[in-house]
Amino acid sequence: MGAGVNAQQTGGSPRGAGLLSSLLRRQVRGLKFGAGLTVVLVMLALSLTCDFIAPYPEEGRGIAPPDARDRILLPPSTDHLFGTDSMGRDLFSRVVMGTRSALMQILIVISASLAVGLFVAVLSAYFRGVVEMVVSYLTELFMSVPAIVLALAFAIAVGRGLITVISSLVITWWSWYARITHIYARGVVEMDYVTLSRLSGLSPLKIVWRHVLRNVYPPVLVQAITDMGSVLLEATAINFLSLGVPINSPEWGVIMYEGKDVLVTAPWVTIFPGLFLLVTALGFSLLGDSLRESLDPRLRRKWRLWF
Amino acid sequence: MPLSLNYLAKRLLWSMLVVVGVAVLSYLIIVLSPGDPAVKWAGNPRGANASLAIELARKELGLQDPIYVQVPRFVVNVLTGNLGLSIFYKQPVFPVITSNLTSTLELLLITYLIAIPTGVLLGYFSAVRRGSRVDDFIQQLGVLLANTPTFWLGSALFLVLVTHEIPSSGRVDYVLAIETGFQSITGFYLLDSLVQGNLRVFLDVLVRLLPPALAISVYPMGLMIRVVRTLVTEVLLEDYIRVSVALGVKKRRILWTFTLRAVMPGVIQLSGIAFAYSLVDAMVVESVVFGRPGLGRLLIDALNSSDFRIAIGLIVVVTVFYLVVNTLADVVQALTDPRVRL
Repeated sequence: MGAGVNAQQTGGSPRGAGLLSSLLRRQVRGLKFGAGLTVVLVMLALSLTCDFIAPYPEEGRGIAPPDARDRILLPPSTDHLFGTDSMGRDLFSRVVMGTRSALMQILIVISASLAVGLFVAVLSAYFRGVVEMVVSYLTELFMSVPAIVLALAFAIAVGRGLITVISSLVITWWSWYARITHIYARGVVEMDYVTLSRLSGLSPLKIVWRHVLRNVYPPVLVQAITDMGSVLLEATAINFLSLGVPINSPEWGVIMYEGKDVLVTAPWVTIFPGLFLLVTALGFSLLGDSLRESLDPRLRRKWRLWF
Repeated sequence: MPLSLNYLAKRLLWSMLVVVGVAVLSYLIIVLSPGDPAVKWAGNPRGANASLAIELARKELGLQDPIYVQVPRFVVNVLTGNLGLSIFYKQPVFPVITSNLTSTLELLLITYLIAIPTGVLLGYFSAVRRGSRVDDFIQQLGVLLANTPTFWLGSALFLVLVTHEIPSSGRVDYVLAIETGFQSITGFYLLDSLVQGNLRVFLDVLVRLLPPALAISVYPMGLMIRVVRTLVTEVLLEDYIRVSVALGVKKRRILWTFTLRAVMPGVIQLSGIAFAYSLVDAMVVESVVFGRPGLGRLLIDALNSSDFRIAIGLIVVVTVFYLVVNTLADVVQALTDPRVRL
């Protein structure tokens, strides 16, 4: 292989197959986006309609009926698609109900940390000086504290509950968006139009809102979509340690927490919520990735090897 | 030297400030949350001695003083390692944490011995074969790995091992350890058993380490695959690679010597960042799923006994760990990468 001889060859596949493989690649990227979107939409639909889809909605919410004692830890069957848990409740209903709390946790955590992170970082980039120093200190501080140990402190001091999960995640997560936003915003505030609008007497808040924020938020938003899966994983881990949502709630981490004691005799209690969790996290991740690829032209660059 | 003392001093000061901030934060959690701080500091005591314990906690915190006296005093206590006795263990907090830290660290080291070489090789392969089906497969694998819930995978591995009657719970078989006269000196069982020439214990410890390590390694592995692919791609597009091709340098030498050397600093820095995350993953998995001692067990014990002192100790130790690992990664990166100057 000489230097540059195969310069037209893309990606290292044989020349004849070049067109085919590039088509295939486009297909895969389309597939990625499609798969991610499908998963997210299905989960959204499930969370809205789970009251009707779950065959035993009451059991799904965690209430065990009196006759549940006769059907403790049944393996999966046509009556109980995913089997039953250690209190005789239908696992399928519980898992399907779990989509609602999963999406709720994701949405609250991401939107709150996004709002805080964007706002704080844009202000710090605009005002500079002391504000910037304080913000970068706080960013560094909250990036260094993991959400799970913070959740432990909240769980002991305040008590367990949804608020523990959400507050500990928001407190740590906003710092990531603040850092990314700050990098972009530093560039934007140097622009001439920002100087001009400052000269024209526009109030700082309006400049930040109208000119800076609107130019910074797209990449941060895409990052947030990619992060939704990670937020879900971390929230579920907190609930799995029983630091968060109370026991018997329809939440995947909680179901798996209840399932770990009967792991050997009834593995389905652990397997099914975990599968739902994996697929949901994967869906958000694929969606975010394909969005980022279409946003960042560098990733689409034609690529050649020199040998 | 690509490293200036000025930078190190700045970094150290900044890290100290972060630790102070964390101490203030944890104090604010206990004081500002609803309820009596003294009751929480005493661990929600019940029974005959409850009021005594609460009074003692009140004295310990010095709640009668104004808040601007309380906070600095607490911060000084945290920085000097004086958090009082743990409610659950009845021992000073920091020794309890450090004695459990070695178990978690051993697990993390094995995890990274698995994750980094595998991740780097897969990412490397994927970049070199860019555009091929192998590349697509490895990329999808990377996304899958990075999104797998650690505790779910850990449970699945545990289930498989238990049904095949392979020992997988705890750190070591204590009967075997006593029979062969194994003693822990450093707290790292692998090292200790190797130094004592105790091969049976070494193997036993290793067999119990591998499943949790495998479960924790998925996230750093997935991350590594994706980042190494990007890094290698960028390096392969550099002019000096083009020049070496033109000069007729062997392809193998370009790929394995030039490129690998250029990618290594990035890999080191990423490992540092991922290592700190994996600590949290290890805390979730090690105790709850695999019944190992370690920081995860402390977390569960602290929760069950409302032991806020252990919680603060954990927050501080984990934060310090994060800061130290990241600083080390940056320093090593600066030492290995001639382009980076700190």
